[in-house]
Amino acid sequence: MAKAMTLLWATGSCPCWRVMIALEEKSLQGYNQKLLSFDKMEHKSQEVLDINPRGQIPTFKHGDNVINESYAACFYLESQFKTQGTKLIPDGPAEQALVYQRMFEGLTFYEKLTAVIYYEWYVPEGERHESALKRNKEALVTELKLWESYLQKLGSGSYLAGPSFTLADVVVFPTVGALFGFGLSPERYTKLGEYYNLLKERPSVKASWPPHWSENPKDQDTLKDTLKDI
Amino acid sequence: MAKLMSLLWGAGSPPCWRVMITLEEKKLQGYKRKLLSFEKGEHKSQEVLEVNPRGQLPAFKHGDIILNESCATCLYLENQFKSQGIRLIPDSAEDQAATYQRMMEGLALTDKLNSVIYYDCSVPEEERHDSAVKRNKEALTAELKLWEGYLENVAAGSYLAGAFSLADVIVFPSIACAFRFGLSVGRYPKLAKYYSLLKNRASIKTTWPPHWVASPQGYDILKDL
Repeated sequence: MAKAMTLLWATGSCPCWRVMIALEEKSLQGYNQKLLSFDKMEHKSQEVLDINPRGQIPTFKHGDNVINESYAACFYLESQFKTQGTKLIPDGPAEQALVYQRMFEGLTFYEKLTAVIYYEWYVPEGERHESALKRNKEALVTELKLWESYLQKLGSGSYLAGPSFTLADVVVFPTVGALFGFGLSPERYTKLGEYYNLLKERPSVKASWPPHWSENPKDQDTLKDTLKDI
Repeated sequence: MAKLMSLLWGAGSPPCWRVMITLEEKKLQGYKRKLLSFEKGEHKSQEVLEVNPRGQLPAFKHGDIILNESCATCLYLENQFKSQGIRLIPDSAEDQAATYQRMMEGLALTDKLNSVIYYDCSVPEEERHDSAVKRNKEALTAELKLWEGYLENVAAGSYLAGAFSLADVIVFPSIACAFRFGLSVGRYPKLAKYYSLLKNRASIKTTWPPHWVASPQGYDILKDL
């Protein structure tokens, strides 16, 4: 099964990491994969464009089925391989609702993170404003406090949608991983810190941990300070 | 079942519309609903904040279960009521892949539309740039051309992922918005055909934004795209 699958990915990409965690959780190790470089613009190469006209990664193929949206790939894998590996979407209505709810809030969470850490990647120099970056940081802080409150309510040792690991953790943990990779303070965000410590030991997460948060060795040290004051 | 459901919604909001289409398709008519006004800031009222701390619509309840993300709500309804109404997520691997893929791409379409239509609402005056407006319009144009391509073979019964599916539930409202805001039918004939085929679908007609019915004339922000 996994042999019929191919993933094109890049290091430090949360969307790619989501799919890799899902593949591990569904016992689909052994899939074909190729590491590409954003710095060398390989995500805009013909190889990627042939699979994904948007020139974005991850790109995922299972036989002739092409899925280039990380959440879509995760839903597909859980549905097509329901009986193997970890059950990632519970059946009970209340549990299921919370998984879906946190998953989609996770998109907002990721957007607020990237609006800060990728500000200069997204916004051309002539359009940047201190006021905008400040506002983006404040929005990220508000978002972080919300997730702290979600974890607080569920109690120590819990996952994002309850006592069990679910698809919500698959798609949101990479964002949390990135937050701490970019210097978020676990003293200031204790619940997220606990959650991070819990998940970083999970086999699927360990197996797929990004080799680097930034491809550029020069940046690898300084980016650890990006979020330390928020 | 529907009697235990309630929806707080705002007119013309694609996320709200997605949930309403799904409720119709899953034969859950009869749910309680309350129309709120974005203009009057009612999405930030205590009533909404109690259900959704983000102060956003739609806010949906099923008994004690709360769902405030439109895609989450649609997926929940499809899965919990799989055997009633229309099947919105097919079983076959090929069709399922296409459904999930177009569904999630639909969120990129909505974002790009919002970045053009609501530029002035979301960017403070001192931070606005003509270059940004231009770039957002170019990104939206590229996005619309992609969807025009996806709908190359659009026909009755042949939509974004084959038969009508959750992909259409999620994406149609944004396509309808694009035409409401002046998108050219001549320049996007496949999107126009998709729009005209689906606007008469029962679930869509019943939930058509009321103020669009009252005043069919829209805006022309997108007419030059």
